[in-house]
Amino acid sequence: MAEKPKVAITWLGACGGCDEAIVDLNEALLQVADKVNIVLWPVALDFKYSHIEAMKDREITLSMITGAVRNSEHEEVAHLLRKKSELVLAFGACATLGGISGLANFISKDDIFNWVYRDAPTVVNPQGNIPQTAIEVNGKQLTLPEMYDHVYSLGQVIDVDYYLPGCPPPSDLIATAVNAVLSGDLPPKGATIGPRRALCDTCPRNLRKPARIEIKEIRRIHEVEAEPDSCFLEQGIICMGPATRGGCGETCISINTPCRGCFGPIPGVEDGGARYLSALTSMLRAETDDDARRVIDSIDDPAGYFYRFSQPTSILGTKRPPQATEG
Amino acid sequence: MEYNPNIVCFSCKFGWGYVGDKQSGNGSPENWVPVVCSGKVESTHILEAFKAGADGVLILACQEGHCHYQDGNFQTGKKVYLLQKVLETFGIEHERVRMEMARNPEGDKIVQLVKDMKQDISKLGPVRRF
Repeated sequence: MAEKPKVAITWLGACGGCDEAIVDLNEALLQVADKVNIVLWPVALDFKYSHIEAMKDREITLSMITGAVRNSEHEEVAHLLRKKSELVLAFGACATLGGISGLANFISKDDIFNWVYRDAPTVVNPQGNIPQTAIEVNGKQLTLPEMYDHVYSLGQVIDVDYYLPGCPPPSDLIATAVNAVLSGDLPPKGATIGPRRALCDTCPRNLRKPARIEIKEIRRIHEVEAEPDSCFLEQGIICMGPATRGGCGETCISINTPCRGCFGPIPGVEDGGARYLSALTSMLRAETDDDARRVIDSIDDPAGYFYRFSQPTSILGTKRPPQATEG
Repeated sequence: MEYNPNIVCFSCKFGWGYVGDKQSGNGSPENWVPVVCSGKVESTHILEAFKAGADGVLILACQEGHCHYQDGNFQTGKKVYLLQKVLETFGIEHERVRMEMARNPEGDKIVQLVKDMKQDISKLGPVRRF
């Protein structure tokens, strides 16, 4: 009998929600588990990186990697799995776009350390300790991974074969991705597993959308009771639907929550945030410059909103310097 | 070495000289992109300019109420105002994007406006990013 294909699942700078989405495959997961040999899944099973290091190059058929690359350990594991895998799937918004943690790129590493280890009101740190990459304790050296200045998407650090968006990706698309690999019916390299159209195209609220949206005031979702069937933008609530790839199953929309953009930009668009910015301003109805500015001033943290999941892969996001990606 | 900021200038052909790619009079500035309407200037164009090394972006639009396409200049005004706020979060000062709304069909003031902006940007220094 032919050996089962080997699959690795791991998390880098991630919250674990993507692993949870895999568990949520329920019975389908058991069927997949019958067909493959899971060689790494730190959140669920006990394996050692040394087992992976001992494998032949490209011995693993598929590595599903979740999370952004934030520190030297993430980078090392990413390179290791790239070397040992035939295919690498960037799994979820963080691996694909940089994700929520990519918002940290709007401030510096020093700002983060100062706040977390010194300035936050709940911090008790009289000796002013901050994490070091190496320290001597009782004559022994202890080491920690180095936190980088910047958060990177997986594709900015290693060569990625396929991208699966979502925070987390929905079960049907996970199944599509895994089945594509198992059946050998693969999309072109670099493809994103998901529809090519914007969320608005499949949004159930689109049917009641007026021909022209005119926003006179910006409202935040927690400040108003949103109409459950009307377009959010028509109600002045910022919804990323026009600039976001569909395929999520409208899970947020169906619980009366506007789209936050976790599926990233539609195909052919590098910077969904900037495109959304243009779309939103064209919908703002104001008679004068002052009025337009007043409405725009009421948008809280626009950069954080438009780039909530995609700061690292935006036009002004930064790629990992090439010398660090070799290996 | 003296800091010489790179300014990218987008100008509307209707309000700032409908002369194609060659400007008369005072010569033409570097990095000059005449467009059919200031409304054609996308936020991604401005971001790409900064990515390519611009220190400032100047957008020359028609004066208020005089857009050939009804309100392209007004639409761009809104876009630029919101983009300036977003750029501040990226560490790029809002002064690095400037929009002028006026009428100069000969386009002979463009070179001077670029020079003026260069001077102002010189005080800011190069773009600092985290």
